[in-house]
Amino acid sequence: MNEITNDNIKCNIALTALYDVIDPEIGLNVVDLGLIYEINFDETAQRIKTDMTLTTQFCPMGDSIVGNVTQSLQDAFPAWEIVVNLTFDPPWNYSRISPDGQEFLGR
Amino acid sequence: MNLLSGNGLQQTTNYRVVFCLFIFMLLLHFFLGSLLLLIHSDIYDIKTHYFHPYTLTIVHTMALGWATMIIFGASHQLLPVLIEGKLDSNLLAYLTFGFTSIGIPFIAYAFYNWQVGFPMKIGAVLINLGVICYLVNIISSIYYSTKKRCTHVVYFCGIYLAFFQQRFFGLLLVFNFSYPLLPDNSLDYLTLHSHLGIIGWFLLLVIGVGSRLIPMFLISKYTNVKQLWIIFTLVNISLLSFIVLRILQFESVYYFISIFLSLLAIVFFVQYCLRAYKVRIRKSVDEQMKISLLSVLLMLAPLLVLLIVLLMIPVDKNYNMATLYGFCIFFGWLTAIILGMTFKTLPFIVWNKVYRRISHAGKTPVPKDLFKESIFNWMAITYIFGFIIFVLGLVFSISIILKIGAFSLFASSILYILNVIIILTHQSKVS
Repeated sequence: MNEITNDNIKCNIALTALYDVIDPEIGLNVVDLGLIYEINFDETAQRIKTDMTLTTQFCPMGDSIVGNVTQSLQDAFPAWEIVVNLTFDPPWNYSRISPDGQEFLGR
Repeated sequence: MNLLSGNGLQQTTNYRVVFCLFIFMLLLHFFLGSLLLLIHSDIYDIKTHYFHPYTLTIVHTMALGWATMIIFGASHQLLPVLIEGKLDSNLLAYLTFGFTSIGIPFIAYAFYNWQVGFPMKIGAVLINLGVICYLVNIISSIYYSTKKRCTHVVYFCGIYLAFFQQRFFGLLLVFNFSYPLLPDNSLDYLTLHSHLGIIGWFLLLVIGVGSRLIPMFLISKYTNVKQLWIIFTLVNISLLSFIVLRILQFESVYYFISIFLSLLAIVFFVQYCLRAYKVRIRKSVDEQMKISLLSVLLMLAPLLVLLIVLLMIPVDKNYNMATLYGFCIFFGWLTAIILGMTFKTLPFIVWNKVYRRISHAGKTPVPKDLFKESIFNWMAITYIFGFIIFVLGLVFSISIILKIGAFSLFASSILYILNVIIILTHQSKVS
């Protein structure tokens, strides 16, 4: 098993895991949808803190999306503590969709 | 160890509240389809007055059992999204369901057998109790919501109050059969009663919900609060002007004022949806949204019929055109938007119930996989075909055409029920 040596590699692993978390209505992953604001790795506490949002605070799929984000990160980093911070400041807007995401929706 | 911090998720409405309203609604729709096919289509080939027991039964079954019940069901689920707050009381929601689900069959039975005594009165009282519970629940939810002043909240307060007035007026009309509560007989107030419901409840509600959900489901950036306020004002002035003109018994030519204002409001709403459609991010539009967008265009049909009635057909010969007007409303735009939105919202509710806590355990179906697309497509085809054919049957008063149209609509209702049952009985599939 490769040893994780820096934040960039870990961040890539986390993002790869999160690409598998799909918004069930839109069909787009949470990274390209722009729901993930920040991922921080605390080496000392072995803790991953993720700031994320939803398209609306009252998103009916919110529970499921947040649960999937948490579980995907936990699967990718089994030994780490996962903290998902759900924030609506700033609120999500359409400009957060990545070019790949826009291309996917434009098909 | 997993932790969730921050603002947190708001609880959505208990699915059981929504389920019972949906199930009750679809059973009544089945009832309605059968009724329409087997009995009622024949009465329209002899130009029957719209104050006919069977017509009143169909109208009240459609307006209350179909459209209002599904609106109750969907709004209990969607209100938290619209007002950005949570539903205040599940108990009041159950009471709404309890009172209306008992009251509506009483009303339908009373109209069908024309018994204006006990069954009609108890039905009207129960429905009004249900509406009061609904109104209290919605207003208290709005009061505690985070967006007390937003456009949609004001919209909904206005709509619910109009609906209460409409139902309360219906109650007065029922008791007016036995006790002289109103200066004239109930027949004279029928147009007033129906338009309080059609304009104050259905039209405003469809515009209010549609202006939020259509851009949301299209993933469109378009919003125009000013235009929504103009539409809201136009519809309310249209309704108020109609009430004043009707009470003061003005000549029919003055009703063009009300019709014009409503027509203008609908044209603005169609324009709003068209703009949202044009700037949508999601280019592929699913079938559910297509039929919902069709319903927006169908909103114009009843007013065009009304203009034809007023301009071209003498008052004593417009019975079928009055029926056509009502048909275009209840089987046209209201049914079309319900058919579309059922399959946008119900799969979400069921998906949340089945997969919310296990969706991370593996690959799960998405909400649109919870119903059969082929059945939906056939439902849409039979609905559109049945609607057009029945309209032709009404225009030309031909029995066989009416039967074919009614049969096609009935087939559509069966396919609708089948697909709803497929959604409701969905079992967990995690791979």
